[in-house]
Amino acid sequence: LRAREPDTEGYAERDGVKLHWELFGAGDTTVVLLPTWSIVPSRVWKAQVPYLARHFRVVTFDGRGCGGSDRPEATAAYSDAQYTADIVAVLDATETADAVLVGFSRGTVWGVKTAAESPERVRGLICIGANAVLAGKQPHRVEYAFDDRLDGTSGWQKYNRHYWLEGGYNDFVGFFARQVCTESHSTKQIDDFVDWGLDVEPATLVATNGGAAAADPEHLRDLLVRIRAPVLVVHGDEDAISPGSTGAALAAATGGELVMIAGGGHLLPTRHPVVVNHLIKHFVDRVAQ
Amino acid sequence: MRAREPDADGYAERDGVKLYWEQFGDGSTTIAMLPTWSFIPSRYWKCQVPYLARRHRVVTFDGRGSGSSSRPAGWASYTDAEFAHDALDVLDATNTDRAVLAGMSCGARWGIQLAAEHPDRVLGLVALGPAVPLACMLPERRKYAFDAPLDATEGWAKYNALYWNRAYPDFVDFFAARMVTEPHSTKQIDDIVGWGLEIDPVTLVDTDRGEACGTREPFRETCERVRCPVLVIHGDEDAVRSHEQGIALAEATGGEFVTIAGGGHTLPLRHPVVVNHLIARFVDRVAR
Repeated sequence: LRAREPDTEGYAERDGVKLHWELFGAGDTTVVLLPTWSIVPSRVWKAQVPYLARHFRVVTFDGRGCGGSDRPEATAAYSDAQYTADIVAVLDATETADAVLVGFSRGTVWGVKTAAESPERVRGLICIGANAVLAGKQPHRVEYAFDDRLDGTSGWQKYNRHYWLEGGYNDFVGFFARQVCTESHSTKQIDDFVDWGLDVEPATLVATNGGAAAADPEHLRDLLVRIRAPVLVVHGDEDAISPGSTGAALAAATGGELVMIAGGGHLLPTRHPVVVNHLIKHFVDRVAQ
Repeated sequence: MRAREPDADGYAERDGVKLYWEQFGDGSTTIAMLPTWSFIPSRYWKCQVPYLARRHRVVTFDGRGSGSSSRPAGWASYTDAEFAHDALDVLDATNTDRAVLAGMSCGARWGIQLAAEHPDRVLGLVALGPAVPLACMLPERRKYAFDAPLDATEGWAKYNALYWNRAYPDFVDFFAARMVTEPHSTKQIDDIVGWGLEIDPVTLVDTDRGEACGTREPFRETCERVRCPVLVIHGDEDAVRSHEQGIALAEATGGEFVTIAGGGHTLPLRHPVVVNHLIARFVDRVAR
């Protein structure tokens, strides 16, 4: 049961990889809610779609590796460049000339790339819980290497390819869900996240991580200064995945507006939906004028 | 911080017992949100007040023994007759000629009494998860005596005067979890635990003994005297007061019955949108 069913849906296809998109509502302005790390599908926007679709034309799509999209095996299929090209392909498939892009977490990187590389397609960019690759990871996350064989499985040691592939994946998803949503009274958001995470095969998620690990932070910072579209950065000041300083750095580099959510963790779209929805609505109203 | 602050507040007083009331909003129809068991104060209506006060005049008050109302000693101050009389006094104190009453659990029982005895003051009654002596208690609640020493301390054995005197916080945790059995209810449970800990267990023992003394008139006969429209709403997974009690109340009053599928006992806190819409529609109907 969904609060809002799509009005249209379909697939965009690139190099044999099919991407499932959905379209809700109508209007002069299109808002594209970007995919994020493939541990969750486009349903991560479930609290935004019904509200925004009352005001705008809203497009979502499942990132490669999750949901109704294809799940290629090769690590190379999950590079930032691939996801960014997917965004343009979905804009084309939905006959969307330009749009306001809303990225969450890893999706913010692809939003930044699209805004820098295809400026004519992007009227504005919102970065929620911006990915740490844009400014720096939480100190506790850089301690353990993803590809190394570790001698323990506690805490962030669970974020490890060997642990995922050798029976620890479910435990990792439960742990990670509690890191993305650290606020009190979040059992529903955590349960949803766990369900989504368990819908993805560990091997697929390993492949997605290989692609992102190849990201070049210097290259991304060069892209930031090329963005001409208005930018809004929304970040939780208690984000346990990507520190609040990431949001501040991103806003500074793009000349964007910065909104810090007091007490907010990483999973702002489902945990703080009213604030997030109003911020998106006001931003879109402003840039669409 | 509250979503809606009262526009007026004050006290009604009877026999030295002060009852703290609050009034929100304006409108030709008043909704009187009745207290419930003094385990929790009027804040249990926190999700209803801001919504209903946009279109109606809303009055709440803390039941004796809870919140900012007096906490008299002795069970005789906590009978059903006293609570029903309190509601009448608050209607008077707030210059409310007539009102739609809403009550949860014990509050629904007091609402029935007020509607039976003062039909001119009551436009209609919404009873949520009513605690009424018309159908059986939940079987798990019937096993243990309230005022006798028990060997057991698990489950409903915690609902015991002697246990409250030695381990009240543990009872509060247990009872809050029974009040809200739906998944994803940590906020509601935390709220209830916080409220429950505001009350002295000695006072709470008095409230239970007061309830146990009942009324002179059999409750079914009281129900038959009710002439106003009645809406009964009950969760079919209520773990405090059986769903059968709600069905029986609707039958005894000729009222409408709505089941909340999967709903537990504390519907106003856990199912606010459904409850708000049901109350709003009921008020629109009876206040025409």
